[in-house]
Amino acid sequence: MAAPLPKRIIKETERLQSEPVPGISAEPHEENARYFDVKVDGPSGSCYEGGEFQLELFLPDDYPMCPPRIRFLTKIYHPNIDRLGRICLDVLKNNWSPALQIRTILLSIQALLGAPNPEDPLNEAVAKQWKENQPEAIKTAREWTTLYAQKK
Amino acid sequence: MKFGHEYEKVLASEGFPKQWLVSAIDYKFLKKCIKKIHKELQELGLDAQTIQKLSDPWDKSRNGAAKSAAERHDFYSAQPPHLDAIPEEFTPQLRVLVDRRTYTPLDATLAPETRQNLQKLAQHEVITAEHQAHWQQHARDEAPEQSQDPELHQEPTLSEPIDPKNVTWLQIPLASAKYFFDLLGPKLQELEQLREAETLKLEEEILELGARVEDVVEPVREGFEAKRRVSYRDLYFWREMFRLYLENPVFYSHHEAKPGALTFAEAKTRLQAYDQQLRQTGLLGKMKTPAARIAAKQFLDLNVSILKIIGFQEMNAEAMRKILKKFDKRTHLEGQHFLADLRTKYPALLPPTATTTGAAPATTVNTKPCCTIGFANTIAHDMYSEITSKILGIVPQLDDWSCPVCLEMAWRPVSLGCCRALYCIRCIIRLQDDETKRCPACNAETVLKADARNLNFEAMDFLEKYFPLETKKRQKENETASLAREYGEEFVKPGCAVM
Repeated sequence: MAAPLPKRIIKETERLQSEPVPGISAEPHEENARYFDVKVDGPSGSCYEGGEFQLELFLPDDYPMCPPRIRFLTKIYHPNIDRLGRICLDVLKNNWSPALQIRTILLSIQALLGAPNPEDPLNEAVAKQWKENQPEAIKTAREWTTLYAQKK
Repeated sequence: MKFGHEYEKVLASEGFPKQWLVSAIDYKFLKKCIKKIHKELQELGLDAQTIQKLSDPWDKSRNGAAKSAAERHDFYSAQPPHLDAIPEEFTPQLRVLVDRRTYTPLDATLAPETRQNLQKLAQHEVITAEHQAHWQQHARDEAPEQSQDPELHQEPTLSEPIDPKNVTWLQIPLASAKYFFDLLGPKLQELEQLREAETLKLEEEILELGARVEDVVEPVREGFEAKRRVSYRDLYFWREMFRLYLENPVFYSHHEAKPGALTFAEAKTRLQAYDQQLRQTGLLGKMKTPAARIAAKQFLDLNVSILKIIGFQEMNAEAMRKILKKFDKRTHLEGQHFLADLRTKYPALLPPTATTTGAAPATTVNTKPCCTIGFANTIAHDMYSEITSKILGIVPQLDDWSCPVCLEMAWRPVSLGCCRALYCIRCIIRLQDDETKRCPACNAETVLKADARNLNFEAMDFLEKYFPLETKKRQKENETASLAREYGEEFVKPGCAVM
C-alpha cells in the first residue's frame, strides 16, 4: 500500500487492541493493515453458542465513506448468511454511516447471530427451513456450530 | 488466626491516620467474643452440632420434603421477631419449642443433659401467652418469626402428632451474642461516618485542586501573557497527564470486559504504574511554572489518600465478613439475619449482589454473607466521578472533540443542526461530494443542506484556544485536501512543491 494509512484506521485498530470487545477479536494483517482476521464468539443463549466464527474484513480505499467488506470464513447455518459467507445486514449496505466503526459493525454481526431474520433472507433454503420448521433449523445450526465452529 | 494476624499487620503498616484506627473493627476482640458465646452455649449443653441438629434433621426425618423451608424452624428458631421493623431491639435469642407440661424439648435427638438444662431454664420463664383461638388458620400464613409477642409465643404447628396446646416457645437469652452484635453494630456506624467525613474532605480537596488546575492550564490570551507566566505548553503536559490517567483509571474500570470498582490491590498497582509512566515521560519535570508542579504533586497526593481510605475500608469489610462467617460456624446462630438488617441500614456497605435471601428466610447457616468490598466500593465510585468531572474536565481531551468520520479533531467544526455531533468541514464536503444525504450520527437528512451557516464558531474559538497545535496541523491538512479536491491527487503529491 503506497498511500499512507488514514488516521482513522490507525486509531480504530489501536482501540480494538487496547479495549477489545468481549467475545470479538480483530487482528490486522502485517502486510496489509486494511485487512483484518476477525473472530466472533456465538452469542450465549443462541444456537451458535460455544462456537467461534472466523471472518475476514477489508477496509476499501473509500472507508469510512463506504462500508467495510466482510464475510464469514467459517461455515454457518443462518438465513442471512449465504454459502459463500456473505452477510445480509442493512448497516453493511444502504444503512452504512461513516460514524459506524469496525467494532460497531462486528457487534451488529454478533447480534445478527443472536437474532436470525428469515423474513429478509440471503440463503433461501435455510430461511425456508427456518420458517417452516424452526426447531429443526435450530438443531441443524447447533450441529453445524459443533461441526465447523470449534475453537482451536 | 491467620487473618487476624494479617489484619493487624496491615492496619499497623499502611500508615493509616490514628482516628481511622479507632474506628477499625476489632477483629481479635470479636473473636474472643465468639469464643465466649461458644462457651455459654456449651454450658447450656447446646454446642454447635446440637444446634445444627436442632435446626436441620428433625423435619427431614419426620415429614420428609413436604414441609416448606419456612416451617422447618417450627421446633427451633434463632431468629428474633420483626427484624426489619424494629432493628434497634435486636437481641439474639434461641427459641426452642418445648412441651408445655414437662418442658422437654420436642426434639428427640437432644442429649439428656441438654434437656435438663433446658427444662431448668424453662421453669424460670414466666408463661404469659394465651392460646390463640384460631391457631390453625394462622398456621399456614404465619411464619414462626411473625409472632406478636416476642417474649413467649405459642407456635402453632402443622404436624399432627403434637398437640399445639401443650407446646410453647422457650426463649434462651444469649448475653454474649448480644454483646457481640452490640459491638459490631456501632463499629459499622463509625465506619460509615468515617466514610462520609473522608468523602467530604476529599471532595473539598478535589474542588480546591480543580481551581488550581484551572488556573495553571488557562491558555494564553492576548494581554494576559505579560502578567501571567503560564505557557500554553503546560496545557499540553496536563492534557497528556490526564489522558494517561483516563486511559487507565486508577479506581474505577470502564473496561467493557470488566467494569466496576477496583480492589485495593489492583488500584494500588495501577497508581504505581501511573506514577511510573509520569516519571518515564518526564511530564512532571517538563512543567514550566512552579504552580503547575505543585498542582501536579497535589493531584498525585490526592490519589494516594483516596487509595488509603479504600484500602482501610476494604480491610474492615473483609474483617467483618470473616468474623460473621466465624460466628456462624462456631455457633450456628444464623448471623445473616443480623446481616440482612445491616444491609437495609447501610446499603453501601453490602451491595446486595449474591445472596438475596428474601425467598428462603430459613436457609441454613452456610449461606455466605456477601460484603464484597464494602464501603470501599462507593468511595471508589464517588471519588472517580468527582475527579473526572471536577478536575479532568477542566482540560478538554482531544477525543471529546473529534469528528466521528475521521476521528481527528473537528477542524472548522460544523453542526448540522440535527444532533450534537461536530464534523470537520472537510468531512462534510466529502460527504456532500459522495451525495450522502443523511447525518452519519443520527440519520437525519441534513448533510446536503449544510453550508457556511452551519459552521459552529463557538466551538471553533474553543478549539483554537485549547488545541492550538492541532488546529494549526489540521489547517495545513485541510489546505492540502482542498487543493487535491480542486486539482486532483497528482497536484499535491509529495515532491511537487507549490509555492
